[in-house]
Amino acid sequence: MRPVSGTPLLEIEHVTKKYKDVVALDDISFTITDGITGILGENGAGKSTIIKILLGLLQPTSGSARVLGEHASSSVATRARVGYMPEHDCLPSQVSAAEFLTHMAEVSGLPPDMARTRAADTLRHAGLFEERYRAIGGYSTGMKQRVKLCQALVHDPAFVFLDEPTAGLDPAAREEMLALIRKTHREFGISVLFSSHLMADVERTCDRIIVLRAGHLVHAGEVANFTRETELVFIDVDSNRDALVTALRRRGVVVTPESGGLTVEGSDVSVYEQVRDALVEARAPLRRMAPRRRELTELFEREEEAS
Amino acid sequence: MTGTVFDIGYQGYSGVREGRGRSRRAVFKDGLRAALGFGRGARAKILPWFFVFVLSAIATVMAIVAGAADRIGGAGTADKMHLPSYSDYNGIASIIMFVFAAVVGPELLCRDKRDGVINLYLVRPLTGSDYIVSRWAAFMTVMTAAAWLPQVILFLGLCGGDPKPAVYLAAHWLDIPRFLLAGLAMAAYTTTLALLTASFTSRRAYASVFLVGLFIITTPFTIGLAEEVAGTAGQWISMFNLTNIPVHVNDIIFGEISEITSEAPARLLAPWIRVAWYFAWTLIPAGVLWSRYRRLSP
Repeated sequence: MRPVSGTPLLEIEHVTKKYKDVVALDDISFTITDGITGILGENGAGKSTIIKILLGLLQPTSGSARVLGEHASSSVATRARVGYMPEHDCLPSQVSAAEFLTHMAEVSGLPPDMARTRAADTLRHAGLFEERYRAIGGYSTGMKQRVKLCQALVHDPAFVFLDEPTAGLDPAAREEMLALIRKTHREFGISVLFSSHLMADVERTCDRIIVLRAGHLVHAGEVANFTRETELVFIDVDSNRDALVTALRRRGVVVTPESGGLTVEGSDVSVYEQVRDALVEARAPLRRMAPRRRELTELFEREEEAS
Repeated sequence: MTGTVFDIGYQGYSGVREGRGRSRRAVFKDGLRAALGFGRGARAKILPWFFVFVLSAIATVMAIVAGAADRIGGAGTADKMHLPSYSDYNGIASIIMFVFAAVVGPELLCRDKRDGVINLYLVRPLTGSDYIVSRWAAFMTVMTAAAWLPQVILFLGLCGGDPKPAVYLAAHWLDIPRFLLAGLAMAAYTTTLALLTASFTSRRAYASVFLVGLFIITTPFTIGLAEEVAGTAGQWISMFNLTNIPVHVNDIIFGEISEITSEAPARLLAPWIRVAWYFAWTLIPAGVLWSRYRRLSP
């Protein structure tokens, strides 16, 4: 049974996690409802630590973490209703995907006959049906990642945690994995918490975003709002660059010269109109103009400057 | 006639979820399959079945020899000639059982750690205690079967080989609970030591080499030292011969000294000391093993 839409599935309240003197998470609070939520942050930001606390694998130093209304570390039964895809290797090389998934479904509490059926169905949805009787050790990296996702979904959880699901994948396999994650929520109805250090992956896949930096919560909200804040226009001209900068600034446009061109904040129609007028005024021949996203590190620098 | 295949899309699961009981049984079943190589490639089956074959072959040869003696010399000849029987079999098989446990036992724990599967178990409705108890029970089942099967072959062989099977059965029926109990004692000891050693490493080979080395080294070392140091001290040194510990219990169960312990000074210690020593070497390692995995759950 799926939780009612809009009810909090995960609740983190004032969670702090310390490893001796190192603060991995510092007074983090957020709530997650159904949908796909991305946790974005650089390596060491605390993404995996949050997931492990929610799964009950780690105890927070202070604060509380609830999954589907239950305390993560004390409710073993709740774990039957969540799935977890770890970042690192977790697959046995000797056994086939069908055998492994059947076993994991049984470990999640499904009867053996249902476990077999669920394993075959899940592998079919992940595009691994034809390969299901081959030993996992012979699979490509992309296929192994899909088996990792399948083991998290095989017992039909209400919520699934994906820790860096696109790590180590080539562009084609990465696209397939992101499509599968979208499918997990939109077709299977399973809500997802998905950690990544790649902003593009999170933006293209998630409905909501949580941004962490060095154990601090930097941003939590809808991806659409976050995307608006991160959009830029990149402009490259053949000459009269300085005159163009002056013309843009006179119009109140925030412009930053950088190697190879200029970046202008915002991406709505009015920004493009201001740029057009400034180019005409500065008599600057336009070579290239394209929308661009701010890098994650750039965002963090802005947050720091603002604070 | 043609048919149409419809993709009915993703179907959620609304059936029964059996909780921790099913999880424990699944880990137990997987442990049995891993120990015996089921669901794995042919190479994974070679070692466990080789050991089962060797253990059974020893019992079969013993049964054939005793049966031949009884057929040629008349009923009871094998007993009169003091040919090796149930108690002696356990003594002979003890070293093979140790090597079996050392080589196969670590497969149940080391691979889960090395492959990272243990992380998946601990996010399911299963605690660290559930995991290790289920794995221990699985390997204990395999070792018990490996201890009992040859004894059953031996019993059937001796009974069938005797000119008067009914008379043999009447005279030896008490050996059945004895060899079952002695087999359990042997299985519990070897299972616990093998899994405890495996819990310290993610490499099966390291655990196996350490265990085989431990058994091989302690045997000549304690025998030599016990001969040098006579008296009670020598008897206690002899108690550190790890292969003999369950054989002493076997001797007490059968009420006779088997071939392998007939020269061991420890045989002269009181039975309760030898039984307590066995329990110390089984229960303390079991407690350490349990506590190591119990800590994996927050």
